Amino acid sequence: MGQGKSQFTEEELQDYEDLTYFTKKEVLYAHQKFKALAPEKVGHNKNAKLPMAKILQYPELRVNPFRDRICKVFSSSNDGDCTFEDFLDMMSVFSDNAPKAVKAEHAFRIFDFDGDDMIGVSDLREVIERLCGPELKLSDSEIQQLVQNVLEEADLDDDGALSFAEFEHIIDKSSDFCHSFRIRL
Amino acid sequence: MSGGKNKRSKRHEGWEEAGGEFYQELYPGGEQELFENLQRADAAKLATLLPSKQARNTTTSKRARSQNERRQSTFARTTQSRDIHLSMLPDLSENLSNEERTWEEIMQIKAMPVPMNQKLEIKSRLQNATKLRLQGLEQLQWRQRKVLHRFRIRFAEIVGKLELWQSALREIEGKFGTGVVSYFLFLRWLLFLNLAISIFVVTFLILPNVFLVEVEHDCDEFVENSTICCSQAYLQRNLTDNNVILDLIQGTGWMERTILFYGVYSDQVYSYFVKKLWDAEMFYNMPLAYILIPISWILFSLIAIVKTAAKGFKERLVENEGQFYMYCNLVFGGWDFCIHNDKSAKIKHKALYNEVKGCLEEEKYKEEKQSRTRESQILMHLKRILINLLVFVILVGSGILIYVVFNQAMDKLNEEQFSSMEIEFENITEKSTLSPYRDNSYSIWRFRNTLLEFLPFIAIGVLNIFIPEIFGYLIKFETYTPANAIIITLLRTVLLRLSSLAVLLSQIYIQISDPDRVRCAVFDEEFRQECWETYVGQQLYKLLLTDFALQFVMTFFINLPRSFIARHSNSRCLKIIGTQDFYLPKHVLDIVYVQTIVWMGAFFCPFLPIIGTIFCFLIFYIKKFACLTNCTPSPIVYKASKSKSLFMSVLLLGFVISILPVAYSVAEISPSWNCGPFRGYETVWSFVVETFEAFPYLIREFVFLIGTSTFAVPAFAILLFFLYYYWAVAAANRHMVEVLKNQLVLEGHDKQFLLNRLSAFIRQHQKRCERRNRASFADDDSSIQHSSR
Repeated sequence: MGQGKSQFTEEELQDYEDLTYFTKKEVLYAHQKFKALAPEKVGHNKNAKLPMAKILQYPELRVNPFRDRICKVFSSSNDGDCTFEDFLDMMSVFSDNAPKAVKAEHAFRIFDFDGDDMIGVSDLREVIERLCGPELKLSDSEIQQLVQNVLEEADLDDDGALSFAEFEHIIDKSSDFCHSFRIRL
Repeated sequence: MSGGKNKRSKRHEGWEEAGGEFYQELYPGGEQELFENLQRADAAKLATLLPSKQARNTTTSKRARSQNERRQSTFARTTQSRDIHLSMLPDLSENLSNEERTWEEIMQIKAMPVPMNQKLEIKSRLQNATKLRLQGLEQLQWRQRKVLHRFRIRFAEIVGKLELWQSALREIEGKFGTGVVSYFLFLRWLLFLNLAISIFVVTFLILPNVFLVEVEHDCDEFVENSTICCSQAYLQRNLTDNNVILDLIQGTGWMERTILFYGVYSDQVYSYFVKKLWDAEMFYNMPLAYILIPISWILFSLIAIVKTAAKGFKERLVENEGQFYMYCNLVFGGWDFCIHNDKSAKIKHKALYNEVKGCLEEEKYKEEKQSRTRESQILMHLKRILINLLVFVILVGSGILIYVVFNQAMDKLNEEQFSSMEIEFENITEKSTLSPYRDNSYSIWRFRNTLLEFLPFIAIGVLNIFIPEIFGYLIKFETYTPANAIIITLLRTVLLRLSSLAVLLSQIYIQISDPDRVRCAVFDEEFRQECWETYVGQQLYKLLLTDFALQFVMTFFINLPRSFIARHSNSRCLKIIGTQDFYLPKHVLDIVYVQTIVWMGAFFCPFLPIIGTIFCFLIFYIKKFACLTNCTPSPIVYKASKSKSLFMSVLLLGFVISILPVAYSVAEISPSWNCGPFRGYETVWSFVVETFEAFPYLIREFVFLIGTSTFAVPAFAILLFFLYYYWAVAAANRHMVEVLKNQLVLEGHDKQFLLNRLSAFIRQHQKRCERRNRASFADDDSSIQHSSR
């Protein structure tokens, strides 16, 4: 604990406090958690870059069906490897204090598998398949039907994909999203 | 591979030449950026280049590939195109920003979806930028704001740390998801509600009654129905020397004369002198406090419930325009990101799978329903009617059972009372000879007596445990949709619980309103229900205790072994017996029931809210144990928002049901003569009226004026007018939403159309360019050939 404190200067902590939805203490706590993933490496360099496999050992991420996407979205080098700052960003977005708009923004990127700035049919399929897990498979026609229903509900301009505006619209109306899109530190 | 690349680059060259002017006209600002994008995208994906789709992308991961230069350009674009994110981004072009604005901007950086190092960069740039210093008052205000902001953060931190049961909630959340956690949050909410009521009661009723000294009146000569003599007779009567523990759980004996119950509260206006305050005389009107405090906590509870329910209701209203986003919610909000253990993740996958299947099937079911044959429809309705009849019979049966048990137990107890007197009498006379034997039989008798006292409540508790299981079994035959099935079972169970309470209360009422009841027992004979308010308080106290004990026993002595069986046996049959889901509606009812009893009894037994607080605290641990150890996650997906509003509506129902009998007793039933703050009044309410008469003339007139029709009719009309106005506004808004939605769809179609035209146009251009290129190549070739010739 004491060591964790000494790894940051007051100035850095102030920066982190200003730039995330955390207080200084929470930043330190987050660092503890980060350190627990790879004590050796982080002990040497507080902002060490951990490979994605290591980050995914974080309990909530380990079982999350979108784990690799989350890492990729928050990784500053875009390959899924995360430094502490990336990890802090991640936790900040998933924290209770982050507003809905910020959460929606990142959720959109997580669900946008092919990175074309639209959640298209293939993205939706991927999301649904991941939601149901590796063991249970919905039949192709069922997925087709579900994708169709989602698009019918949300795709206002009928272009066969959800743009960010449309996605945000859904999120605005879903009170459960904020409850579920959350990882407690 | 390399050939393909070559081709593409050629194509881009073509674009640049041909499309340049066109785009320049369309997007006078960011043409450079647009071209870069255009070069990367092909015609089919043109849609992604629209400003509306790009608005948020200050720097998406995709774009961060060639980070530095690209970011610069996006910055440039965003500042120009003045989109949503502009407000979030620091406007570097203007150096005139003052300190306060810079600070605000720094505070907004955190909302930007960029990596930390970029945020740091932006922050330092903002900090280093030249800015105006604020002067005078503005400086002061800004300082204040900053301090307030910091204070708020610290305060939130402290509150967060003090938050009750944080780690427990987290554990439950990790295993069961947000729906179940909302139940525990509800439980915590109830705990705080009870705590607040307890504080009311302790400060204004219990403490004054303990510390203020009553003036002793002596009963000099016996007057018929004099309250002083009656209460003296009641309070000074010898208490039966029952077992301490038995008294404790029954609320009889010594317990009856404690501040727990209505009986001991004084009917006097306490008066005392405070020496330091100019010898002023202070008054504390105990009866007035005793009626005002319940009224205030009833109002308080009502406001708390309505406020919490309204919050949920608002959310629901925004959310559902008739299940509008059901599928989207399922897909995008389906996963609980807080789940952190493998087993529950697996179950969550399964639950989601089931939910998806269920939703799709429901749709099919609806289609089927329309095409269903007449015969099967009739059969289904017949089945439902039959089952509803059965449920009704069960409800009536359980009501009768409680009635019979209660009457039997009371009759037996009354008989015992006489025989006990005889026994005691014999005891005194034969103490020397037969005392060991007598003592033994006496204690057995006592035990039996206690059992009889508790019999009705045990019956109620057992019925409450088993009948819902039967309801849960019956509902399967009725082919309701899952959501409806939950609501209908819940309603039936609520009916069961409330009807059992109603039977109990009506029995007590019959006893109380018995015209032959002895009002003022002066002689040394003990009567049950001497002070009927205390008696009611005792009954509800016992009911609460029994309910709690049954929950305890069910969780630790029945359900725990069951879960053990389920975990450690391979036999299928035993597994079915052992596995338990955490079936939310049942548990909700458990605590709402406790709360209902507390509300109902708090007037007669002021200590009940305190007991309720303690029980809520303990129930949290019992339920946590039930949830984490006994149960497996339910295969039903509980949505947090839906379940919250469900809890509140059930609680509101319980509130109304519990307040009605209390209100009736206050308004109609005459209070006891020998105990409590309202001795000697016709009804409790008549005391209020009498106190009101003593008010100053002006206040009385004012209240009377409010009561008259000259005030009420215009007030009613104005209220109606407002109601109509808001209704009209709401209707207009609804219409507007409809119009806007249609417009949005139309715009979408327009955009689609234009995009198609555009991509066709680009394709045409490409072809033309290629042709031209080819021609020029051909020209070159021919010229080369020519020259070579």
